[in-house]
Amino acid sequence: MGCSSSVPARNTGGLNTISNDSSPDASSKDLRAKLVLLGDSGVGKSCIVLRFVRGQFDPTSKVTVGASFLSQTLALEDSTIVKFEIWDTAGQERYAALAPLYYRGAAAAIVVYDITSPESFSKAQYWVKELQKHGSPGIVMVLVGNKADLHDNRSVSSQDAQDYAEKNNMFFIETSAKTADNINQLFEEIAKRLPRPTAS
Amino acid sequence: MDPPNPNPNDAPSLPAESAARLAALSLCGTRDLPPDFHTAEILDDDEGYLTSASRGGSSTSAWKEAPEGLHDDDKDGDDVSQPSPRSSGYAGERGSSLDDDADPDPDPDQDWARGKKHPHEDDASSSWRKRKKHFFILSNSGKPIYSRYGDEHKLAGFSATLQAIISFVENSGDHIKFVRAGKHQIVFLVKGPIYLVCISCTEESYEGLRGQLELMYGQLLLILTKSVNKCFEKNPRFDMATLLGGTDAVFLSLIHAFSWNPATFLHAYTCLPLAQSTRQAASAVLQDIADSGVLFALLMCEHKVISLVGAQKATLHPDDILLLANFILSSGSFRTSESFVPICLPRYNPMAYLHAYVHFFDEHTYVTLLTTRSDAFYDLKDSRAHIQNALLKSNVLIEVQRSLHENALRVEDLPTNPSSQSASHPPESSQDISSQSLSSEMAIGGPGGLWHFIYKSIYLDQFVSSEFPSPISNKKQKKGLYKAYQKLYASMHDKATGPHKTQFRRDEDYVLFCWITQDFELYAAFNPLADKTQAIKMCNRVCQWVRDLENEIFVYGESTLSW
Ligand SMILES: Nc1nc2c(ncn2[C@@H]2O[C@H](COP(=O)(O)OP(=O)(O)OP(=O)(O)O)[C@@H](O)[C@H]2O)c(=O)[nH]1
Ligand SMILES: [Mg+2]
Repeated sequence: MGCSSSVPARNTGGLNTISNDSSPDASSKDLRAKLVLLGDSGVGKSCIVLRFVRGQFDPTSKVTVGASFLSQTLALEDSTIVKFEIWDTAGQERYAALAPLYYRGAAAAIVVYDITSPESFSKAQYWVKELQKHGSPGIVMVLVGNKADLHDNRSVSSQDAQDYAEKNNMFFIETSAKTADNINQLFEEIAKRLPRPTAS
Repeated sequence: MDPPNPNPNDAPSLPAESAARLAALSLCGTRDLPPDFHTAEILDDDEGYLTSASRGGSSTSAWKEAPEGLHDDDKDGDDVSQPSPRSSGYAGERGSSLDDDADPDPDPDQDWARGKKHPHEDDASSSWRKRKKHFFILSNSGKPIYSRYGDEHKLAGFSATLQAIISFVENSGDHIKFVRAGKHQIVFLVKGPIYLVCISCTEESYEGLRGQLELMYGQLLLILTKSVNKCFEKNPRFDMATLLGGTDAVFLSLIHAFSWNPATFLHAYTCLPLAQSTRQAASAVLQDIADSGVLFALLMCEHKVISLVGAQKATLHPDDILLLANFILSSGSFRTSESFVPICLPRYNPMAYLHAYVHFFDEHTYVTLLTTRSDAFYDLKDSRAHIQNALLKSNVLIEVQRSLHENALRVEDLPTNPSSQSASHPPESSQDISSQSLSSEMAIGGPGGLWHFIYKSIYLDQFVSSEFPSPISNKKQKKGLYKAYQKLYASMHDKATGPHKTQFRRDEDYVLFCWITQDFELYAAFNPLADKTQAIKMCNRVCQWVRDLENEIFVYGESTLSW
């Protein structure tokens, strides 16, 4: 990633968490939002982010270690500009204990599973519960069924996922990082759901 | 950070399932070394070719020329090793990458095992038994943790066998160090609840293999810290393998380093040669950062150090540098974007995690900032921007790229009379004395038949090695030479008979010379017909040459780095 000129505001506030100020910039309609991706290893979190940020799909994508940081801005139709600061976390089990570092203070969380893997769907439910318990209040949560291009091997039905999402007050979408299907829609939906600055 | 959580709450029931599978397998697993363990045909991934060894020597039955370049060398070790019948997914893919991530497997289930080599092998497959060098990590309850080849879970029975051997000896209040079985040597290393085992028929020394196991353990600690032991206290049947998920590439790359990176046996690090002023510019900006609360700041190009700085009294052990660089370089995701990851430096503090900020400036050059603060990411990101600006301003990154291609030490450039030459511009060459009556192939290389050398400064804990000249151009030859150096190192440092000051060895492949003083260790290889007095003369010239170049090939004056 390039040499970003923006210097994110810091908000350590004694909390042992990586967080920056996700509150809107008062002077404009610009939003800055901390976004975190959670989900089992191999479901395609990094591929989703790289598709969104760089427009690429790398089938040889590497297992993430710790967490990767990327940012991307998105212009909405109502001319709001949203700057996403994205934490792509590692799905490997040894890093699970670190997750709070990344989801605390996040404005939005994308919980990803792989539509061909029921195990990854139950892992997604684990993350949803964890976010409900410990995430920021009002956090925008999205359930994403990735690898939609592999529908021939589907083993998690859209209906089941949809039902689960509704029960938990989440937005649900199926994506394919490979074909780019629904990737931009995913982030646009999140942007739309972010709390707007109260009129000043 | 807390010790890793082995079983995050109500995670999917996978562990239980696999435990059951394991139990079932261990019942029918082989409990002894298979009778045909000592087969004539040996699969050696380190060498990338298939030998059929017979008593009188070995003949190469299939040779695959490796791509040129020291780095790639060992990474394609698996190219021509026999794929097991079911591992068809891999067959066509090998060659460019160490990670099997690079393997776009059509079967989605494979995604869950990304990074595994020959996952379908187990101790019942003949290809598995023919492997020349195995590495295993297991728990003291016999649970497999890591295997170089094959799926750990399928090796439960074999693991139980190893555990039985080790525990049998440990229970009698003794320690098992190694076992010899025909051509095979089995080396054991016991680290609390964790056992490490190497089974090898590579004729490496016991000390050498043990050192490699120590580094394997260090790599494991770098990923999990020593506090993982607590998991075994709570649950002796704890399944540690899941905690190492996705790290196969890291261990594989370390195992490959055993056969090409002298740092693995010299316990020293190496620097990228750079003009003194360039390195000073890099060090200055890192020093700035270290003064602002970073514990260690390292700027590296591949496995070579450009500059490193530690806060106050903090010192970095060469083994930690090796393991850290190996971890970063073998985990592909660091190159994609800036990362923040907990790692442990086993020589610095095996119990605690540090947090590492890693950023690649280009394909080869990266900065690593280490801190104890888990909330330091944005500070470190700012620091990196500051470093990047400074490096761009002083052209350091361009110089680094140049050095990567140009600054290598070549024996052909060994000056006739080093101290009289300008240090930065070694003379063209000194063909005058180079190998008088040798065949044309032999004549290539440096003066006096010098082919290659490694010089380690004891005071600095740094080494420098020359490029390989054409007589040692292929992978097999390079590896052969490194193995010879390792043996030499082991015999020079043998506690029973040593330490020695000099050693001169001649065999059919080369003449090896080693010279150890209070200040340095020199390892040099000459063509097999080289003359002893000439060789000694050349060694003196090499030492002088290295001293003349020391400001460019070593990192100096890190007042914080004295130990
Ligand atoms: N067919 C298909 N494959 C995908 C898709 N997205 C990702 N993959 C593949 O799935 C594998 C894992 O993708 P990653 O993005 O690295 O997975 P991750 O969730 O980031 O995994 P961790 O970093 O280990 O947590 C890669 O081999 C991708 O090529 C997709 O939409 N369709
Ligand atoms: Mg990832």
